[in-house]
Amino acid sequence: MSYMMYVLLFGLVLGLVAVASNPSPYFAALGLVVVSGVGCGVLVSSGGCFLSLILFLIYLGGMLVVFAYSAAMAAEPYPEGWGSWPALRLMVGYVLGVGVAWVFLGEGWYEEDWGGFDGLVGVSVLRGDMVGVSVMYSSGGWLLVAGGWVLLLTLFVVLELTRGLARGALRAV
Amino acid sequence: MTPAHFAFSSAFMLGLAGLAFHRTHFISALLCLEGLMLSLFIALSLWTELFNLTHNSASMPMILLAFSACEAGTGLALLVATTRTHSTNRLKNLNLLQC
Repeated sequence: MSYMMYVLLFGLVLGLVAVASNPSPYFAALGLVVVSGVGCGVLVSSGGCFLSLILFLIYLGGMLVVFAYSAAMAAEPYPEGWGSWPALRLMVGYVLGVGVAWVFLGEGWYEEDWGGFDGLVGVSVLRGDMVGVSVMYSSGGWLLVAGGWVLLLTLFVVLELTRGLARGALRAV
Repeated sequence: MTPAHFAFSSAFMLGLAGLAFHRTHFISALLCLEGLMLSLFIALSLWTELFNLTHNSASMPMILLAFSACEAGTGLALLVATTRTHSTNRLKNLNLLQC
């Protein structure tokens, strides 16, 4: 079990190395999909299964799908992947940087530090994080209203930014 | 520093470096920003799971995700507007303020 957490945490860091080395946006979006999948595994191993499902649904299924088809605006005839020299140079540099930080900060990591932890004894329908999120509807009601208002406002911001028929913020002609 | 803490801290630093050292495309910078938000979500969820007796702070990553969705939408609207005016999203084309 601690080996699985080890692999998942490695996958998290290496996936973000693959995104941060700035290849063509198709490959960067693929790296982000891998990172969010592995992040869901990390959350499940620590007992947060509801938040992991939220991450899959909203982040992967909502936001990254939009990024995937927006990457069509960056279409080029020869997209450079992770084998091209600039991206490979950045990847090696980032891996070396993480390794150096590991050497300096990784003191006293024993076998049991890698394992997942589940606070509830036994299995129940009501998991801890699900009960915690429902606090958002009771005590955090005003924060929910603020979040909904911000989302509605973002819709109008996006519509105004992309309108630009005869006027608009970013129209040059 | 526990291994999980080191993992998402270095993930955050890597996303920040990818955003700072962007190369050609505007959307690569937006994807690195999404990586930042993802590492923050995992960080908040892990802190809620591992360090709290009660799970009252499990609404923090949800609110973060909602605001991150707003930010991603606005960033993509800027990308669309840039592509409509400059016909590409390469960063070398954004040269109105050239010195």
